[in-house]
Amino acid sequence: MAIVKAVNTPARAAPISETSLVGWLRKNLFSSAINTVLTLFMAFIVYLIVSGVVVWGYLDATFVAENRRECFDNSLTGACWAGVIDWFDNIFYGRYPREEIWRINFGGLLLALWMAPLWITRVHGKILVGASVVALYPFLAGYLFSGGDKGLFVQVMVAGAILAFVINMANVVAGLVRNQSLDRLVIDLLGQANAPDKTQRNILLGLLAAGFAAAFLWQASWTVVGVSWTKWGGLFLTLVISGIGIASSLPGGIALALGRRSKLPVIRVLSTGFIEVFRSVPLITVLFMATTMFPLFMPEGFVLNKLVQVIIAVVLFNACYMAETVRAGLQAIPKGQFEGAHTIGLGYWGTMGLIIMPQALKHMIPNIVGSFIGLLKNSTLVSIIGLFDILLMLRSISRDVPWLGLHKEPLIFGAILFFIICFAMSKYSRHLEVTLSAGNKH
Amino acid sequence: MTIRPNFASLAAIATLAVSGAGVASAQSTLEIVKERGHLRCQVGSPSPGYYMLDTEGNWYGLDVSVCQAVAAAIFGDPTKLEIQSVSTQSRFTALANGESDMLSRTATWTLTRDSQLGIDFLTPNFYDGQGFTVRKDSGITNAMQLKGAKVCVTTGTTTELNLTDFSRANDLGISAVTFEDFNVRDDTYVNGGCDAVTGDKSSMAGNMAAFPVPADHMILPVTLSKEPLAPAVRHGDNQWSDIVRWSVFALINAEELGITQGNVEDMRANSKDPNVLRMLGAESNLNEGLDLEKDWAYNIIKAVGNYGEIYEKYMGDGEQGLGIAREGSLNALWTNGGLMYSPPMR
Amino acid sequence: MTDTTNQKAKVRVRPKEEFNFFQDQRVRSVFYQVVTAGIVGWLAWYLISNTATNLELRGMNTGFGFINSSAGFDTDFKLIEYTPGVGTYGRIFMIGALNTLLVSFLAIILSTVLGFFVGVMRLSPNWLVAKVALAFVEIFRNVPLLIQIVFWYIGVFSLLPVVKKSIDLSLGAERVILNNRGLYMATPVPGDLFWMTLVALAVAIGGVVYFRRRAHAKQEKSGVQTKTLLPSIAAIVLLPGAVFLATGMPLEWDVPVLAGFNYTGGTSVPPAFLALLVALSIYHAAAIAESVRAGILSVNRGQTDAAMSIGLKPDRVMGLVIIPQAMPAIVPPMISNWMDTVKNSSLAIAIGYSDIVSLFMQTALNQAGYAVEMVGMTMAFYMFISLTISFFLNIYNKRVQLVER
Repeated sequence: MAIVKAVNTPARAAPISETSLVGWLRKNLFSSAINTVLTLFMAFIVYLIVSGVVVWGYLDATFVAENRRECFDNSLTGACWAGVIDWFDNIFYGRYPREEIWRINFGGLLLALWMAPLWITRVHGKILVGASVVALYPFLAGYLFSGGDKGLFVQVMVAGAILAFVINMANVVAGLVRNQSLDRLVIDLLGQANAPDKTQRNILLGLLAAGFAAAFLWQASWTVVGVSWTKWGGLFLTLVISGIGIASSLPGGIALALGRRSKLPVIRVLSTGFIEVFRSVPLITVLFMATTMFPLFMPEGFVLNKLVQVIIAVVLFNACYMAETVRAGLQAIPKGQFEGAHTIGLGYWGTMGLIIMPQALKHMIPNIVGSFIGLLKNSTLVSIIGLFDILLMLRSISRDVPWLGLHKEPLIFGAILFFIICFAMSKYSRHLEVTLSAGNKH
Repeated sequence: MTIRPNFASLAAIATLAVSGAGVASAQSTLEIVKERGHLRCQVGSPSPGYYMLDTEGNWYGLDVSVCQAVAAAIFGDPTKLEIQSVSTQSRFTALANGESDMLSRTATWTLTRDSQLGIDFLTPNFYDGQGFTVRKDSGITNAMQLKGAKVCVTTGTTTELNLTDFSRANDLGISAVTFEDFNVRDDTYVNGGCDAVTGDKSSMAGNMAAFPVPADHMILPVTLSKEPLAPAVRHGDNQWSDIVRWSVFALINAEELGITQGNVEDMRANSKDPNVLRMLGAESNLNEGLDLEKDWAYNIIKAVGNYGEIYEKYMGDGEQGLGIAREGSLNALWTNGGLMYSPPMR
Repeated sequence: MTDTTNQKAKVRVRPKEEFNFFQDQRVRSVFYQVVTAGIVGWLAWYLISNTATNLELRGMNTGFGFINSSAGFDTDFKLIEYTPGVGTYGRIFMIGALNTLLVSFLAIILSTVLGFFVGVMRLSPNWLVAKVALAFVEIFRNVPLLIQIVFWYIGVFSLLPVVKKSIDLSLGAERVILNNRGLYMATPVPGDLFWMTLVALAVAIGGVVYFRRRAHAKQEKSGVQTKTLLPSIAAIVLLPGAVFLATGMPLEWDVPVLAGFNYTGGTSVPPAFLALLVALSIYHAAAIAESVRAGILSVNRGQTDAAMSIGLKPDRVMGLVIIPQAMPAIVPPMISNWMDTVKNSSLAIAIGYSDIVSLFMQTALNQAGYAVEMVGMTMAFYMFISLTISFFLNIYNKRVQLVER
């Protein structure tokens, strides 16, 4: 009665059409006459484009030259990358004093280190890490970039930021080594694990205060040279504008979105009107308004500098787009969550702040990354009103005497740079979308 | 409370703004500048010859030298200067509302601008005129042959208006192709997209040097317009306009007297010419009316050289120059048939 | 904890008696609203009064009187009559507005067609085709539009041939000519009896619509398919063609001719317009392609299988089953894309195409200096367009929602 086979039949090798190169080609490129024609046609077009680009951009190109005339002498048809390479510092850092450039790099490094824990699974307290990046890092970076004398407020914020950074790093170590959050580790090390909550809290607060005092004293011992905003430029300025834009438009957008969903008619109408007005006009008109009309709005004698005008415009504009992102995020929250929150007796702010927003924000992260990409691309518009962002820097190369008239290569370089940045970020946002939605399925 | 968080961010930005925001009062511009410790001088986005950025991020050029001269006159130090680059649309408002102390950019001095925008133009530091560039093989030698031609022009400036006027006055039916960027204008022209380019002759000469084959092109002799390019200040502060005006005159006067960056020290110590001694502050008190230091003019020349030197450096054959001949042009000294003339400094 | 629960329980029993002015929902809501309105009103008043003071202090011009005063400058591209020195600023506004509308309208059509095409290409079984479409989408989505516009402007249109070597896009008929000075098109000039051709065309189209309706009804009833495509095309081409010939071909062409330096006659389009059109179309096509792809993918795979199993051909599956179901997912993002196209056309300022921003808000503002009025008018124009488009979007959404089961 050996009907049942006791051993598995070994898997048969995949058919040749599935594995071999020829099979793959036949399946994917030459499955029918029309497909073959299409493939050949496409291949031809791709060949034309790629060969043209390679010849112009690499084979015939000049990479080392003193000025444009030398490029012409080398080849009249190839690209002249020498000018772009010569201008690298300007393109990335603008007119920032060359001996101070380390401050920008250092600021960027700080940000990277500060944010890195968000991606390390073993680290605890990610929400605090994220909040401190938004709330404290800008002050530290702002002082690092602009420099000069520190007012008391700046001193306090800088000290706070330094402390937060140190705690953050210590927390990473605690997480990686002991898989514990820093406060638990400290309590354990002090042998107070069994002390009452209140004692523990007091110990931690005391340590925090001591740390703050130390950070305050330390930061008071140094200053960096002041660098006027007129010297900011290049990719650095582009990132500053879009960074501030995205960070400040998030709270603004949340407020506007809540306003738009509010049950109070005055607030709803005002928010809706505000959002719709800014969403229906192009950014360039808002920027124009900022530069031609903001000076008129200010009381007599009060002068806003151009960078601030532009940042205000970008924040207002972006907040309205962010509001719609937030609204979409709120709409995705099932009604049961609101009802559940009400049942346990939470009021409006409690419901929003503790139940709805945390969930909605999580859903919104890919969209926020998306708006950051959009903002980054849109921020090139500030070049039209004369701010030396990366695009205006790139276009200024052609006005420097040695490189007079060199304007295509910088633009293409800029396009490639933007492509790399935006493509990487959009890939990441798509990856986030997938992981988040996977984690959301019950 | 819809807009509360927005106020918060506004307030945050406002704090950020305080560093760059000044509250003007009844103080004179000179007092404000001295108190601030540096001069704010407005230029535009880079324009060859006048104001350009080098690879180190420093500004250089003819108009930048004027800024440096004024800074040197006030502080004795040409680096106490903040160059602001302002777009064409907001250049006059930025000056009028006090964002910048002076404007030294290729702005043409016209009656309307001088009288209606709340600003005062001072003495021109460059005389330009609008002209045409054509290809040599086109056979055009006279602007009247441009009937029905396509002419490339940059938009949003007086250049465009002048071309329209010229075409209407001579019934040429020229069709203008407008460009935002002179590089694109020139590229289009070089590739045959236009029969001619119109623009300020000096800048066209500079741009032509960067054409693949400069010798194939030429500038027609006709001049469409007068373009006296002058620095400007806010209307109403006469002491301040005197300072800027005489800083420019000092440059020209120094050339007339043969004072250069190299010999200025020697001239002050050893010259016998009373004009030289007066100007450099060794004799008399020319500085008092301006409320500047005694050696203000000495500092200017020490810092940037005389007008001729500046011209050679940025417009002429200097290393950073555009190679535009000064001989016979309006920008030569009056003794050489040009318009550069300084009233006596006494 | 227990305390508060007890209180709450009490409150729930006798809500009326515990009326607390500061805790009452209605009082609070009125209070919040009054405060908000007060702050906004104060802010508006503050800004307006500051502006008024500043305008007066600086002696700047105000009022809308400038609309009727004449503008001294010319523009190289206009759809309506305008003479420099005679035409008014109001006319300049109209020219700018029409130019914006023209370029946006054409860009919307081109980007939608191209977007659908690329979106379908993205799903092609042909690996190379799909990858090329992917590269197209990724490249054009991730580079700022402003850079793309400038790039098309300088990089591509300066590579077009000079006048004497113009490309004839109408294959030898010299009706559409492309060179680096722009695109020249012959303009048809209708003769006396041309209206008869138009009438014939209208009749043919009407007939075809009726014919197709009947064929459709017949198919619904009996399942018999009538071939409609060929007869329709034949009717639309042949009937007006016959009338056109019979009336003696009453149509002249105003053909662009090479005269002196340039082509004259016909309609010419400056390179800035073409660059803007191409850049806008491609940039937004990439975005539309993504929403088309997402829309098609959102239709359940089972729909395709079911349609195939009842014997429909692949193109019919697409046309009759998939696309109609995908439309509700495709249309809203597409329409918001159209809105973006209109707004993004304002980037024309970077290359000097005379749209409303560069013509009215830059050149005119530079000449006349009515900053507040001119910026306001321009923004009002964009708002009007956006509201109109979103009005249609809402109508569409309502219709789709009704149909949805």
